[in-house]
Amino acid sequence: MAGSIFPYEYKQEVLPNGLKVIMIPMDSPGLVAYYSIVRTGSRDEVEKGKSGFAHFFEHMMFRGTKNYPGPVYDSIMTTIGADANAYTTDDLTAYHLNFAKDDLEKVVELESDRFQNLSYPESGFQTEAGAVYGEYRKGITQPFWVLNEKMQNLAYDVHTYKHTTIGFEEDIKAMPQAFEYSKGFFNRFYRPENVVLVVAGDIDPSATVTLVKKYYGGWEKGYVQPQVTPEPPQKKERIGNVSYSGKTLPIIDIAYKGDALDPENTDYVASLLLGDLAFGENSDLYKKLYIQEQKVQFIGASIPMNRDVPLFEIYSMVKSENDLDYIRDEVYKTLETFKTNPVDATKLENLKKRNKYSFLMGLDTPDNVAGGLARLVAVTGGIDIVDQLYGQMEKVTPEHITSAAKKYFVPERRTVVVLKGVQK
Amino acid sequence: MKTIVRIFTVLTLFVSIHCGGSVSDDKTVLLTVPNDPTVSFRVWFKVGSQNDPPGKEGLANITASMLTDAATKQNSYEQILDKLYPLAASYNASTSVEMTVISGRSHKDNLKEYFPLFTQAILEPALKQDDLDRIKSRVTNYLENILRYASDEELGKAVLYNEIFAGTPYGHIDEGLIESVKSITLDDVRGFYQEHYTKDNFVVGVGGGFDDTLVRQLKEQLAGLPVGKSNKALPPSPKAINGMEVVIVEKDAASTAISMGFPMDLLRGSKEWYALAIANSWLGEHRNSSSHLYHVIRESRGLNYGDYSYIENFPNGGRLSMPPQNVARRKQIFEIWIRPVPNEARHFALRAALREFQMLVEKGMTQENFELTRNFLKKYVLHYAPTTMERLGYALDDRFYDVDGSHLERFRKMMDEITLADVNAAIKKHWQYGDMKVVIITNEAEKMKDALVSNTPSPITYTSPKPEDILTEDKEIISFPLDIKTESVKTIPVADLFVK
Repeated sequence: MAGSIFPYEYKQEVLPNGLKVIMIPMDSPGLVAYYSIVRTGSRDEVEKGKSGFAHFFEHMMFRGTKNYPGPVYDSIMTTIGADANAYTTDDLTAYHLNFAKDDLEKVVELESDRFQNLSYPESGFQTEAGAVYGEYRKGITQPFWVLNEKMQNLAYDVHTYKHTTIGFEEDIKAMPQAFEYSKGFFNRFYRPENVVLVVAGDIDPSATVTLVKKYYGGWEKGYVQPQVTPEPPQKKERIGNVSYSGKTLPIIDIAYKGDALDPENTDYVASLLLGDLAFGENSDLYKKLYIQEQKVQFIGASIPMNRDVPLFEIYSMVKSENDLDYIRDEVYKTLETFKTNPVDATKLENLKKRNKYSFLMGLDTPDNVAGGLARLVAVTGGIDIVDQLYGQMEKVTPEHITSAAKKYFVPERRTVVVLKGVQK
Repeated sequence: MKTIVRIFTVLTLFVSIHCGGSVSDDKTVLLTVPNDPTVSFRVWFKVGSQNDPPGKEGLANITASMLTDAATKQNSYEQILDKLYPLAASYNASTSVEMTVISGRSHKDNLKEYFPLFTQAILEPALKQDDLDRIKSRVTNYLENILRYASDEELGKAVLYNEIFAGTPYGHIDEGLIESVKSITLDDVRGFYQEHYTKDNFVVGVGGGFDDTLVRQLKEQLAGLPVGKSNKALPPSPKAINGMEVVIVEKDAASTAISMGFPMDLLRGSKEWYALAIANSWLGEHRNSSSHLYHVIRESRGLNYGDYSYIENFPNGGRLSMPPQNVARRKQIFEIWIRPVPNEARHFALRAALREFQMLVEKGMTQENFELTRNFLKKYVLHYAPTTMERLGYALDDRFYDVDGSHLERFRKMMDEITLADVNAAIKKHWQYGDMKVVIITNEAEKMKDALVSNTPSPITYTSPKPEDILTEDKEIISFPLDIKTESVKTIPVADLFVK
């Protein structure tokens, strides 16, 4: 593909039922990565009391079908020595397997079976709720977990980004009672129009398509789009504090409402670069606060790619509580500078070069290729976005960066949360 | 033609092979992957936390960071970050008890700019005070806050290793002790660097799409390191464990993490190791639902997020799904890892895990589980090292363990050779049930201690109905006797850990 940043030729096919399969042949030694990307995540948990359900449901997908009950499924996975797992985020749920190419048909059969015929008893459902609560307990000991819960809850009023992917704790506790709801969840979201398969590695695309048609062809349409309430524009700054029960250095998280992923939105694309330019590890502020003054353990920014309005965040772990205001003001000063002074053109070009090589170097195994594409596929439905996005990034000028800084990084879009440890 | 290509790629998966005029030798490991558009480096110095001087625990780790996270004689740290930035490249140090590895990777397009930065970091570190202050602050924060309060899973493992190897050079974690780290001076770092970063104490690994010139340059430059000695320490001899020796770390926690184990005299490469690897995989393959402990504690009872076992050190298990490279050591432990369970289920979960282990030790594996597991491993180890960097890491570990050929290749081959009798013999020889260190991170330590030494039954309640076979098994677990003596239990407040 001349002019494409994506170094592999790929083939794509859409079945009559809407299931899309993207095949990426690679020179990999007999290995295949198989991703089933469900375009549903915690964003789609619109019903009250059901936060965390997309993630919980991911667990249930390992509980088997009538054809292959859970223990049989596990036993086959063990036999083929697959590296199999899954994860859930705000915008997607991904099921992924790495395995030897000879096992492709068995994997297609098993994956298609559980996506169409999942079946579990209520007792198994309730037991799995315990494992999910265990995952929550494991996470809550981390300060960033506590911080994110607070930030999302404070920054959003009505949109489902108000809760983290694992959900509110009270909803997790109530999960065992939601057996009937879970069946509806499956019927609404686990439908071919809402799923994209990405198969990368040592594959023959036409043989792969034949298998996919054979096993997924009978899967019935029926996706019901959830009515996710848009978050109204924020009117003024929000400030919050949260306590962490253990001991930690304080963390400050400064978040701004941004925009959803859109390669045509030049402000959005410029903001992807702005985060790195202003707060990345060769930024002036990083060097000042981390290396020269040594007032922070780290500082960084996150500009995510989402279906709906996400938070553009700048976070820092600060060595002394007395410096929290200073760090916050330094962040604000940096953003003001980016609004008024166009960024150095060489720095911008260096970042573009970095992004290109970072992308290319990450595409080294079938799993990294398929996994690296998962979010873009989930948010946009395909991988055309890769070239669109990198193409647009190449066109970003210092003026675009200034424009993005002015648009997003303003007080009325801002939420600030400070986390402090209880124990000294 | 296609067949030839296939054979070649399969070979390169596991074997370090000749590259044009450059060949692997006693100081060089080369792994040619012609289609790889990147080059990976791993320079292994035979030094680790076991070489930390008393009172300076953490010095090996800090010295390594002073090479990779700090200035060189040519560039300030800020300048290094600026130069690496457009290349999307970096280099890092990892220190374990016996190995320190400086690793890095660059796209071939950028090698000319990357290579001098990488070699200068090793050969000409500036060793400046402000860099040392910054790195010490990071390590101290890890020990004081992150490890003690934010990661109960790693905490349990860290305490277990410290307890088992107490009084030996392995007896402190790689990051060291808080007071020791604070006491480290620039002179300490300089002395440690001069003593251990010598031309007689390293093996260099290069992988990917490199050429002969690069290898020659690297070898020539590293030959410029000063003359020294090649570290050759004997493996440590940990104190014998007498029965169940329990350490309860008390902290205000809603859930309980458990790690337990005992030292073993078995290293990868020997047939017995691969035999025991089959038993261990069945009992507790890391982060895999094939793990029997996972099945008993999580899958059937929903008590936690996972339960695994190990016959090799596996740091960062919460983050990694496959075994890490270059954490090799000449003394390993057998280890069971119970991820956090609700405090009310802690005694039950401990009993459940120990009961399963005891049954395996006493009865051995069944033919059915043996067949299933060896077939599983034969394919599963293919996923252990998909990248050039990981394969290069394994190749260096092969040197460390003096494996005949490649460990991963041998692993697969052994799955066809090992019999059930081999596995059960290895279990009998290397595992035993009675003498074990148990580390429990929990609240209300005294209450836990009383329950343990009194063998108090640990009834369990569920939020969902359970099948009859599970409930029947529960009756046995609830009163499964643990022979724990009062004098064999010690409790430690979390704030007292890793201090000095």
